[in-house]
Amino acid sequence: MPKSQFVDPKKAFEKGFIHFEDIPVCQYDLSFAEEKKIYSRDDLLRIYRDMSIIHEFETMLNEVKTKSSYNGVEYNNPGPAHLSIGQEASAVGEAYSLGIEDLTFGSHRSHGEILAKGLSSIHQLDEQELYDIMKEFLGGSVLSVVEKHMNTGGSVKELAIDFLLYGALAEIFARTTGFNKGLGGSMHAFFIPFGIMPNNAIVGGGVPAALGAAIYKRVNHKKGIVVANFGDGACGRGPVLESMNFSTMDQIKKLWGEGSGEGLPLLFNIFNNHYGMGGQTRGETMGFDFAARLGAGFNPEEMHAERVNGYDPLAVIDAVKRKKELLLAGKGPALLDVVTYRISGHSPSDSSTYRTPEEIQAWKDADPIAAFGRKLTSGRGKVATEDELAAMREQITTRMTEIMKLAINDEISPRMDLEKDPEAISSLMFSNLHVESMDPDRESEMLLPREECPRIKELSTKIRTAWDESGKPVSKMKAFNIRDGLAEPIIDKFYEDPTLIAYGEENRDWGGAFGVYKKMTEAIPYHRLFNAPISESAIVGSAVGYAMCGGRVIVELMYADFIGCAGDEIFNQMAKWQAMSAGILKMPIILRVSVGSKYGAQHSQDWTALTAHIPGLKVVFPATPYDAKGLMQAALNGTDPVIFFESQRIYDKAEEFHEGGVPEGKYEITIGEPDIKRPGKDVTILSIGAVIYRAMEAAKILEEKYGVSAEVIDARSIVPFDYTKVVESIKKTGRCVIVGDAVERNSVMKDMAATIGELAFDYLDGPVTVVGSRNWITPCYELDHMFFPQADWIIDAIHERILPLPGHVATHNFTTVEKMKRAKGGV
Amino acid sequence: MAFAVIMPRQGQSVESCIITAWNKKVGDSVKVGDVLFSYETDKSAFEEEATVEGTLLAVFHEEGDDVPCLENVCVIGEAGEDISAFTAASAAPAGDAPAAAPEKDETPKAAEPAQSAPAAAVSSGSSEGAISPRARALAAKTGADISRAVATGPEGRIIERDIQKALDQGFLAGQAPVSAAAPAPAAAACVCADGPEYDEEALPNIRKVIAKAMHGSISSMAQLTMNSSFDATAILAYRAQVKACAEKMGLENITLNDIVLYAVSRVLLRYRDINANFVDDKMRYFRHANIGVAVDTDRGLLVPTLMHADTLSLNEISAEAKTLIAEAKSGSINPDKLTGGSFTVTNLGSLGVESFTPINNPPQTAILGVCSITRRIKTGADGKDVSYPAMGLSLTVDHRVIDGSPAARFLKEVCDGLEHFDLLLAK
Repeated sequence: MPKSQFVDPKKAFEKGFIHFEDIPVCQYDLSFAEEKKIYSRDDLLRIYRDMSIIHEFETMLNEVKTKSSYNGVEYNNPGPAHLSIGQEASAVGEAYSLGIEDLTFGSHRSHGEILAKGLSSIHQLDEQELYDIMKEFLGGSVLSVVEKHMNTGGSVKELAIDFLLYGALAEIFARTTGFNKGLGGSMHAFFIPFGIMPNNAIVGGGVPAALGAAIYKRVNHKKGIVVANFGDGACGRGPVLESMNFSTMDQIKKLWGEGSGEGLPLLFNIFNNHYGMGGQTRGETMGFDFAARLGAGFNPEEMHAERVNGYDPLAVIDAVKRKKELLLAGKGPALLDVVTYRISGHSPSDSSTYRTPEEIQAWKDADPIAAFGRKLTSGRGKVATEDELAAMREQITTRMTEIMKLAINDEISPRMDLEKDPEAISSLMFSNLHVESMDPDRESEMLLPREECPRIKELSTKIRTAWDESGKPVSKMKAFNIRDGLAEPIIDKFYEDPTLIAYGEENRDWGGAFGVYKKMTEAIPYHRLFNAPISESAIVGSAVGYAMCGGRVIVELMYADFIGCAGDEIFNQMAKWQAMSAGILKMPIILRVSVGSKYGAQHSQDWTALTAHIPGLKVVFPATPYDAKGLMQAALNGTDPVIFFESQRIYDKAEEFHEGGVPEGKYEITIGEPDIKRPGKDVTILSIGAVIYRAMEAAKILEEKYGVSAEVIDARSIVPFDYTKVVESIKKTGRCVIVGDAVERNSVMKDMAATIGELAFDYLDGPVTVVGSRNWITPCYELDHMFFPQADWIIDAIHERILPLPGHVATHNFTTVEKMKRAKGGV
Repeated sequence: MAFAVIMPRQGQSVESCIITAWNKKVGDSVKVGDVLFSYETDKSAFEEEATVEGTLLAVFHEEGDDVPCLENVCVIGEAGEDISAFTAASAAPAGDAPAAAPEKDETPKAAEPAQSAPAAAVSSGSSEGAISPRARALAAKTGADISRAVATGPEGRIIERDIQKALDQGFLAGQAPVSAAAPAPAAAACVCADGPEYDEEALPNIRKVIAKAMHGSISSMAQLTMNSSFDATAILAYRAQVKACAEKMGLENITLNDIVLYAVSRVLLRYRDINANFVDDKMRYFRHANIGVAVDTDRGLLVPTLMHADTLSLNEISAEAKTLIAEAKSGSINPDKLTGGSFTVTNLGSLGVESFTPINNPPQTAILGVCSITRRIKTGADGKDVSYPAMGLSLTVDHRVIDGSPAARFLKEVCDGLEHFDLLLAK
């Protein structure tokens, strides 16, 4: 809570009522004569054409899925096809009013949305711009196919339509000539130059990303609006509701600096087709009656919510146009409930057992394309003849057939050849770039010059070693500690990279729950460092969207235990988009998560294993100020998503290891490089995270009491991880214990132990032994020593599993018998 | 790191072995304990098990090859590894091998296991000889004798420090421990009614060795066989007595054959031509009675040697003979125990053979065949005919060096001794 706002008890208990404005329901009511004043004949025919193209595209995929043949061309497509037949008018109506700079994030059923936005952008771009875009995209590889094989009579616009249809279809068919080299597929195709942002196979998964894109536009003063498309089914998803709440939070209008008073330029657009898979939202799985009602729940403006007839493209155009004006005027966010119907099932395997044939027929009878065609061709004011429309449809069918033939031709549209190029996907998992500023042409908006920043001033007074010259420990107040190690490169980066923003719970006035951001609020404008609502999905998901747009962001989850609350956003969004986009997108996100202590079962868990398991994430866990600073600097200069683990147990640790303490200047520690914290020759202790201090204690006892010299290696990073130093150490010592605070089962420690077993088998004198936490809930702080690995556990494990120590009596049971027993019991 | 498998020296007297079968071929992956190949000395069959894991990268000898001991037989390592450093002969130079080391050098080593017996008990009570990869690698590199290492690792695992200690104590691998008994080869397939008339099978190498030895014996010597018999009443009574008291007295189950061995051991030393080897026109007269005991095994005839039988009591002879027979039958016998004999006793008596012509076991000069007991009639002192149990003995001698009369005298003395066994026992 900002200090600038007073929470007054008197006001808090004031009597009154909450008033709601009426939410318009299908109020569009223009006659065709009136409409013709707005739209030219060409406009109207183009609307008809675009809807027909979508319809034919989806029909083709439906035929391929259900009959393995379209228009006499045979093909088997094993991939998914979630089709939008019936929703053409909604998609075209939305895209009609959107400019190139307006971004759409697609729903689960997004083919129509992609094509509609693409066709709209093609119409708006001039021929040269259009050609340049196509020429530059993926080195012209998509363009060259359609240029060579499609006859477009020299029209760049027609060529661009072929380009759009082919790029999307080749992507759906997983061809390297698809928009994302076939790595995204049906539900993830996108094309940023046309303002088509990634679509999502996770229902509602794109909504937090759209929120992030809107934040990007708002804080970086970019033109245009962002549209989050999602279905009525997605209204049941937490991340969607979190995003709505996040987007309406008061601070955006009231507290965010430059551009103050402006809300987010974000349109929540519900393509309300009545079903979430087989669940009927209105009447069965939801209680909102009208999806538009949601708007009333989030802010006094009721998100300018409105329900419109999605079977009338002109009604949708009208609504989107009005919402866009509101958003550009800073009155966002807005919400549209676009009523439509999904004639095709959820997927081709859907036998529609949940609806009657009469219902489907009724909606077919109301088909928006046919209805719009009748409107254009009937009466005295008609603008076209039936024959003209029929010819147009026939032309579309011919074009679609040609496009399909191209997209299924293995010579022209090959699949990724992983035999010839086995690293093709490996090389896309990380971008591994070094980019100091995501927008070097722009000045960073800051409130104070660097030298006046209170935190920078404070850091300059800190003593950067754990002990002073006489060997006495430096007092905690004076010592440069781990939170300082994290803060130093972060505050530097705020001055260096104008796109950098940081948010999470309690990030601003509080200074972060653990003080990493303290004394920064004076220097960093509100919109660059702010408190997020307790909405982990929206926090991480919006960071993904922010990065997709080209920004750099640090988000924080406060406790690692909340990773589960942002599961999809971390595991499916943050981790996957670089590779799913074939390297088109970069993901410079640092997700700070803190491992708790003293807080029991739901606040004291090291969940490194969960994040390390998911391909596409870098994972680090520094345990010293030197390492914290170097790894944070590396993460901040990189373009990959980094899960940055911190430990609450050691935030105030000073630098005990690095010669000369923590340097004042910038330096990077290569992510993936472990560090030998203590050389030794008899046993290697590989430590992950805060447990390093206990490992050092064990090493000391081993040396002094048993004459065993332990080499202690701090992993520092988890993904990637270079085993060279560890294997070299084991060649010398022949013995290895791996320690960490995570529960032992399926931990990173276990994974490393298995890998080391493979890499250093011939050098081992005993099994690689893991000393992790018990496979329990974390008990209360007073019982910590029975749960988290302690120095004596490490010694006992060495004694019982690897190297019996003369005279040592073990007090903890690391024997194989005990191991079998515990495994059998699942504990 | 690639690891060469050498042809083990199965006993100091063995200079080479014949590879009888390969169980793995180049490129196969190999686990510890996998049988790599089978091989035979002239008397025993063995299987070589892998002691390292990896891929069989090279094979230097084929089935049927006679491979000098300690030469490389094959190489195990990681696929693709450079093995150019290994050749068939790159193991210890065979010529300099300690095969010819004087016997006295062996004596202290032989005594070592006894000294370290308690320690050995510790390691054998462990998880069955587990050894860490690092310890194994150290042993391979330094030649330390793993069998002498005392395990101090968890659960009885031999770890690096144990090998280091064995090294510090000077325990180098000399004679590799005899590997476990090879299972007997499957019986030849029977001839089926609608199959071929006969099955042709190559002789196992042991049989080839026997065939060659037998033919060599009969064709190179002038063999003379003489048959005699004696009254076995005394030895049967003695045996019955022993049988009755064996448990109480702690005696072995002394067999008739043991008794014959004993008698021979007490008589032999007085017939130096019979207790001798005849090699290249030279006689080797033995100072002790080293009696070969012919044993019928699944793989053919084996003749382990009862060394210094003249110094052993009847009970000791019985015990030793049992051990040798068991080892020979199981195939685990150290080939060294199959050599050094000065005389052989062979027994077909239990199979009811009344007399036969044993074939000499060169370079020995004589062999005694023990036959079955039959009832015979003899005229007693009182002039009456009585029936008595008669045991036949068949002696074959090499007439090139032994004449008929001394041979007959020897045979007679053995018979007399056995008839008056109680007196012979005094010897």
